[in-house]
Amino acid sequence: MQKTILVVDDEPDIRDSVQVILETNGYKVQTAVDGDDCLKKIIEFKPDLILLDIMMPGTPVAEVINKIKDIKIAFMSVVRISEARKKGLCKQENIVDFLQKPFNVSDLIDRVRLILEK
Amino acid sequence: MQKEFKIKHLLYSKLNRKLTLLFLIVGFIAPTLAIFYFYTVAVTSIPEYIFAEQISLLGVIALITIILISINAGIIGFFVSRSISKPIKKLYNATLELEKGNYETKVDIKTNDEIEELGHAFNLTTATLANMEQERKEIDNAKTEFLSITSHELRSPMTPMKAQLQMLKEGYFGKLSKKQKESLSVIIRNADRLDNIIADFLEISRIEAARLKFDFRETDIKHLIKDTTAFMRGFANEKNITLAEDIKELPIIQADPDRISQVLRNLINNAIKFSEENNKIEVSAELKNGYIQFSVKDHGCGLSSENQIRIFEPFYQVENSTRRKHGGTGLGLTICRGIVESQKGKIWVESQLGKGCKFYFTVPLKPVIDIEPIKILFSQKDVMERKIHEEFKTVLGPLGEVEFYELKNKNAFSKDDLIKYIDSLTNLYILYPEKSNDFKNKIREIFGEEKKPLVKKKNEILNYDNLKEVIKRN
Repeated sequence: MQKTILVVDDEPDIRDSVQVILETNGYKVQTAVDGDDCLKKIIEFKPDLILLDIMMPGTPVAEVINKIKDIKIAFMSVVRISEARKKGLCKQENIVDFLQKPFNVSDLIDRVRLILEK
Repeated sequence: MQKEFKIKHLLYSKLNRKLTLLFLIVGFIAPTLAIFYFYTVAVTSIPEYIFAEQISLLGVIALITIILISINAGIIGFFVSRSISKPIKKLYNATLELEKGNYETKVDIKTNDEIEELGHAFNLTTATLANMEQERKEIDNAKTEFLSITSHELRSPMTPMKAQLQMLKEGYFGKLSKKQKESLSVIIRNADRLDNIIADFLEISRIEAARLKFDFRETDIKHLIKDTTAFMRGFANEKNITLAEDIKELPIIQADPDRISQVLRNLINNAIKFSEENNKIEVSAELKNGYIQFSVKDHGCGLSSENQIRIFEPFYQVENSTRRKHGGTGLGLTICRGIVESQKGKIWVESQLGKGCKFYFTVPLKPVIDIEPIKILFSQKDVMERKIHEEFKTVLGPLGEVEFYELKNKNAFSKDDLIKYIDSLTNLYILYPEKSNDFKNKIREIFGEEKKPLVKKKNEILNYDNLKEVIKRN
């Protein structure tokens, strides 16, 4: 069955790029522009994985993830995140990975594949 | 800052002593002259028989008068001069405070004369300095903030740019010709390089703003070095370079293994870059003076004294360098310095041209949690040169000035050059061994190294005795 991925990023170019990459590799992709939009789209599309930018305008990401309990989340971040902070964020079971921006295309696919196969 | 009252302090004022003595002398001479004059008048005008009867009594009275007057004058002198020396002492103490960088210093002098005016002028100057210092801090913060924001802003477009380039190259939008692929490779390589520079900029802005992140945990240094060298061996093998380790017994400490590894990788990477093929690189670690001291030694081209000081500056290029060939952002060592110094460690290099380099850095046994901002963007060399200049002037006096510029022209400013120079002075009996050891320690301190105690060798003691003999005979 085709898996659905929700890409949440405030930058349209990043959204579009990630969308094309994932679609080419056989996933169904929806996009959201910020945290609030993300929460709306979840109900609508019921994605298997959310790729969530860690810094976005609007509702803080920390609040957004509190409301998502049953969908896997992978963070995308342009800021390097220390191991300590990662541990802090990983308290929620559904947070499964951190993607460092700028990412490698092949690395992105490998990671997404791994997460969705689990 | 008011010191507690001590009689010693009162007597230690030279000005006070001088003026008191002056009053005493005046208080002694003036009545003596007056009485002598009175005496000569009396001798000539009073009949001799009356005079002879009264002479002893008159003598005693005269003597007592003279003593009383001079003591009085001395006491008055003491208080008059104290009213001058006290505010001067106040000003002196305030100036010392100012020198330490305490711009809040104010003096409170109410003598209603020129000294009060001087105190007032001093306060105005301090206020101006305080303003300038405040301004300097603001500009500095603005610089760091600007660097941080720009780096972030520069980095965000890199994500879609690099993603789209890779998609192009990997054929997401159709097959590419060989020429197109080659062109894309060039673009990608340079985009990567740009991204590395921006990432390094961000790191530097973090170091400068004390926002560098450390994640302390129990670390087995031996393990850490083994892992790092194993990782770097992949790169070393390309040039058939041997990576050897020499690790002494080390305690397990609280440290950030990722950061230590980052510094080590950087130093080893440099060593590989600047080594010929089939060479050897040695990595070592030992416990020394409450720090763990790491070192990375290569047998490459080495560094001149000038370069040894400046190598940690951002974007510093070694002359005739093959850096272009080697790539790199030119910020690696600067970041290493930032990381090491954020933990109150030291990083330095020992080298001789043509004989390879040995880089050292130290990590404390207890981690520094409260990280202070470190200025790594301005030239370290000028600061060091200024410090060396100061030392030369204080130790050698006017001779030091001349010698300093001579050494500067010879470009003999590496630590080893200076130590050798000081030894030569000691051998010429220009400096005593103790003094020369102090001098050497100061130089070592400037180069960021620990002090070494004076080890009296047998022949050194002999030299010292010889020197005493020479002085005695003359």
